[in-house]
Formats: sequence, structure tokens, C-alpha cells
Amino acid sequence: MGVLDHVWLGVLAVFTAEPAFSIFGLPISITLVMVFSGFVGGIVVGATPGLGGPFAMAVSLPILISVFGFTPDALLPVLGFLVGIMKGSTIGGAVPAILFNTPGTPDSVLTTFDGYPMTRNGQSGKALRVAHFSSVTGDTFSDIVLITSAPFLAIMVERFLDFPEKAALIILSLAFISAVVGRSVWKGILGALLGLFFAYIGTGEDGYPRLSMGSEELGNGFPLVSAVVGVLILGEVFKSMEDMWREMRERSEITMIEEKGDNKLRLADIRRILPFVGLSAVIGTAIGALPGIGSVLAATLGYASGKKMYKGDKSFGEGVPEGVAATEAANSSVAGANLIPVLSLGIPGNVSAVFIILAAESIGGFNPGPTVFRVIPDQINPEMVIVFGLFTTMICANILNWTLGGIFMRATGVMVKVPKQRLLAVVLLLTPTAIYVQNTDMFAIYFTLFFGFIGYLMRKLDISVLPFVIAFILANRLEEAMRQAFSATGGNPWFLFDSPISIAFIAIAVIVVVFFARNKKALG
Amino acid sequence: MQQDRWTLALAALFVLAAVLTLAVWIPNDIETGLIERFRREVMIGDALAPTGAAVGVLIAALALGATSWFRPDPFDDTPDRQSIAFLLRMAVVLVLGLVLMVFTGPVVVESINGLGGEIGTYRQLRDTVPYKYLGFAAGGFVLVFGAIRVVENRFSMAAAGVAIGAVVVLGFIYDVPFDNLLLPPNGDQ
Repeated sequence: MGVLDHVWLGVLAVFTAEPAFSIFGLPISITLVMVFSGFVGGIVVGATPGLGGPFAMAVSLPILISVFGFTPDALLPVLGFLVGIMKGSTIGGAVPAILFNTPGTPDSVLTTFDGYPMTRNGQSGKALRVAHFSSVTGDTFSDIVLITSAPFLAIMVERFLDFPEKAALIILSLAFISAVVGRSVWKGILGALLGLFFAYIGTGEDGYPRLSMGSEELGNGFPLVSAVVGVLILGEVFKSMEDMWREMRERSEITMIEEKGDNKLRLADIRRILPFVGLSAVIGTAIGALPGIGSVLAATLGYASGKKMYKGDKSFGEGVPEGVAATEAANSSVAGANLIPVLSLGIPGNVSAVFIILAAESIGGFNPGPTVFRVIPDQINPEMVIVFGLFTTMICANILNWTLGGIFMRATGVMVKVPKQRLLAVVLLLTPTAIYVQNTDMFAIYFTLFFGFIGYLMRKLDISVLPFVIAFILANRLEEAMRQAFSATGGNPWFLFDSPISIAFIAIAVIVVVFFARNKKALG
Repeated sequence: MQQDRWTLALAALFVLAAVLTLAVWIPNDIETGLIERFRREVMIGDALAPTGAAVGVLIAALALGATSWFRPDPFDDTPDRQSIAFLLRMAVVLVLGLVLMVFTGPVVVESINGLGGEIGTYRQLRDTVPYKYLGFAAGGFVLVFGAIRVVENRFSMAAAGVAIGAVVVLGFIYDVPFDNLLLPPNGDQ
């Protein structure tokens, strides 16, 4: 079976899955319904200041797995829902930024610079439409790059990389993520090494689970979902609650500013913003393809580049649509490209990708990485079908985004009034409950709270949590690659320096760490 | 200077933890070495990966300490007394909520049995209404209501309403549609 056959099977898997209901006799597959639900949920969550896509993904994943079970049929509905959240939350974040000067997501901070002044000038409708158009254009561009480049990159990886090179590539990825995320390279590296160490507890090949101190609970290792959700979600809940507890400030009265004048997005407006959207889409996609660099940097660079390119009467920051367009196109075009390292290398580069991996690992039957694109003569590779199904859900989410996204987006302004502390308190119950129904063991809850405390401490001590989580996910794969590389090279302890490619990877890892350790302050 | 002290203390803590891990924990709690020989085949032992991670922590912590000493880069929002006060309040809520979650059901069932009810053990009743909801309802309410109480620093009916709503909705989502799912703590009773 060729690649095109798999593409077609992937499309069919999305559209001919078990129907959820029928419209005029036309069955609507459950996967499409899940993409739509995730998309709408993502817009609402993105529009709620303090929440965001990762929150929604963490909270919904255990529920989805409970609903769909652990069968391969569950993969596309669950992944489709997560893709929907990813896309929806990206455009939702701009809503409170534009209407209330309150960014819904961290990467929307720069949207407030021109979005809110436009609102004050009675141009909120136009600002939202510009944000929507730019965001969807950037996102679509990014998806096209993902769909066209990931398979080729994966095939190259499979063709040229053996076990030593794969081990070196994981080391390079971890070094890169540790170096670029957060303010301190050494704290990033400490975070990644801690993630590795925690993942090694209770695992190993020997009959006695290493570092388990004889404990039966530790002997099974820390559940992946407890570590990821604890550090990413509960850690953030604890930190946000402490911040709110400290501030104790009354929420200032939120007032809607009336629109005035022409608020439609005209063809002339599109012509005006298109160069800014194009430049930012390229910047965002390039940044998104690198593991660990988030949408905040993409938005910053997109805005800065747009500012340099702009030659209008009013300047950036005074409410020009080009400012909104430059920011939104950049931060949205990160989303699709972020999946390039996951699908081509098996290395999650950001939080959304972490949840895609978590879903795949929890359900089983799909291991994101270069092997998913392996063509087996006269056979179907089910993983390749899933990955093209995943691409199909992304295209469906984009179509939803183009057609309905703007309407939903403009309707979610009310979410800014939801008291965040009450939402977070509900998340505090929802997260352990969702973990429990999956693991049916109170220790899974205790471990999640423990990792939540670690996530809180890491945030308080300025240690980025992303290297920790990604290292935890990759730890066993790194060890396995090293074991196999060691055996394959006949017990050569220098297997990482056995081929030019692995030497190059290790050298780049060292250069990246040294470069950022010396220059990070200046770059910041 | 307080912020720099935090980074130095963090580096010192990690150096100490790494040394203890390398000197005490790994040698005593892993049964294979760094490299193992089995039937003339040389292979990596279980100790190698954690040893590598611990050595890495030691080096990174030393580098962090040295960098912080020679090129201080203070950061805001370090832990302080208020953080400890907040954590203690949250710990009370979490511990109380979890204790209620785990023990409410069994205690109620034992009490009824003690009063001559003879309704059986909690394990037998853990999937029976109303017993299966007792722990989740009591513990869940305290978790949500308590967390809101900590942040808002006051009791409010709205918070109680949110807590009751959260417990009811979650119970409905997880318990009603699925026969095979058990709310906490019923799975391991």
C-alpha cells in the first residue's frame, strides 16, 4: 500500500467513523462531532482569562478516554477533540485581549497593544475580525507546512538515523528545550534532568524496580498522566491561586465599549494586512517547528517584524489593524508546526504536543514518531492511517475556523466575567477525579498532588516546567535507545561518538547550551 | 539579594541531593550495576540512566551556583512567608478533603452496622446508591469550597453553590453514563 492509499484511508477513517447522528439522512461521524465540540470548547476556554488550551486538554483527556475506551477506534475522536481545542483556544485568546485589555492566553499579550486601542476607538468588531482572519490564515499556512514536511522529515529520520543517532537526537532535543525555555539555561537543564530521574524511579529491566525503596506503589513507577497533569495543571492551579490570594483585589467593573463606524472586514482591509499576516505566518511556523520555543516568542517576533515593516500614519500600539494581524498570525501559526517534531521525530516540543502524545500513549495503537510513516509493502500501516486521519481533523478544524470561528469568537466576550478562582477550584477536584477513574487507585491522586506541588515549586523557583515534562515523557525512550545502541555497537561505551551524525548532534547540543548560557541575558 | 540567595540555596540543595543519590540511594536501591555481563554479552545495567541523570543534576547545580554567584540575575516572585501560609491553608483543605473522601463512606457504613443496621461492608456497597457517593460528595465539596474559601478569604453561599454544582456535575459525568467507572475512592476500597 502506498502513501496515497493511506491518505485516503485516513480521510475515510474520519468521515466514515461511527455516526453520532444524521442530518437529512446524512450520517455525521463521531470524529467530526468531536472536532466541532473541541473547537467550540477551545474558543470558550481560550476566551477565559487564566485558562487556556492545555487546561482544557488536561481536563478533557481522561473524560474522553473514559467515554471512548482504550481501543484504536478511540484515537481519532480523542485526537480530533484535542486538535479542536488547540485551534479554538488559539483564536479565543484574542477575545478578552481585544475587548477588555485582558489577554486570555500568554501569547495574546501583544494583541492588547493594538487590539484594545481599536476597541476604545469603537473598532472592536473590526479588531476581532482582523484577529480571526489573521489567526486562521496563519494556522492554515502552518498546517500545510506540517502536512507536507512531517512525512518527508520522518522518512529521512528513519533512513539515516540508527540507535546511536536517535539517542543523540533525543539528547540534542532535551538540551535545546532546556536552553531556550525560561530565563536560566542551568535551571532548564536541572528541570529536564529531574524529569529523567523521576521517570527512572520504579522502572528498569531487572526484576526489582529500581529506586522504589521496596514500596509497592513506587515499584510501578509514577503514572505518566499523574506527572504531566500534576506538573502542568495542578502546579499552575496552585500558583495562580496563590497569586489571587495575595492580590485579594476586587475585580474592576468590566464595561463593554460600544462599536461605532464601519466594523466589517473589507477587501481593502485584507489587502492592507495580508503582507503582515504572511510575514508573521512564516515566522510563527519556523519557530513552531523548533521544540520548546513557544507562541509567545513567535508573537513577539511577529509584532516586532510587523512594526519594522509598517509605514502608516498611526504607529503600532495606537490601534492599527496591522499590529493585531502581525501578532495573531504569528502566535496561531505556531500551532500546526508544533506537531512537526512530534510526528517526524517523536519529540514533543510544546504543551499541546505533550497532550497529543499523552492521548496516544494512554489509548495505545499509535506511537507518534518517524515509524508512523513507514510504508509496508502490501500491508496497511494503521499508524499512518491515524496520522493522515489526524491531518484530516486539522483540515476540518480549519474549515470550521474559517466558517464559524469568527461568530463563536465574537460571542465569547462574556467569559472574561467568570471568576477565575472558582473555576480553578473546580479544576482542583476535576483533575484528581479524572485521574482516578483512569487508574482506580488513590495513589494516582496522591502522586498527581505530589507532582502538582513540584510544579508549584518549580514555578516559584523560576524553573521552567516544560523541560521536566518532556524529559519525563522521553526518558524511557532515551534509555531504550541507549541500551540498543550499546548492544548494537558491541558494548562500545563511546557509541554516541560512533558516527558523524551523532557526533554532530552532541556537538550542536553542547554549542546550544554554551551559547544560551553565555548570551541568554542579552537575548532576553 | 534575597532572590540570589534563593538560587544559591537551590543549587546547594540539588548538589546535596545529587551526592546523596549517587552515594547512598543508587548503590542501595538498584540491584544491577552500570554495566552488566550476562552470558558473555555486555549490556547497560539499570543503574546507568539514573546515575547519568544524578551526575547531570550535580554538574548543572554546580554551574547554576557558580553562575548565580558571579553573574547574579535576580528574579521576582520567590517563595516567602506568605507562600508558606498559603501552602499550609491549601494543605489543610487538601488533606481534609482527601480524608473525607476516603473515610466518609466506610465510617457511615460501619456506624449503621454498629447501630444494628447489618447492611454489609463498605466494599460490598461501594457501587450502591447512596453509599458510593458519600466519600466523593463530602471530600469533593470540601476541596472546592475550601479552595475558594482560601483564595477569597471569606465564606460565601456562591462558593458553596459552586462546590455542590461541581460535585453533582462530576458525579453525573463519570458515574451515571458508565457502569465500569468508579468515583474516588470506591475503586480501591
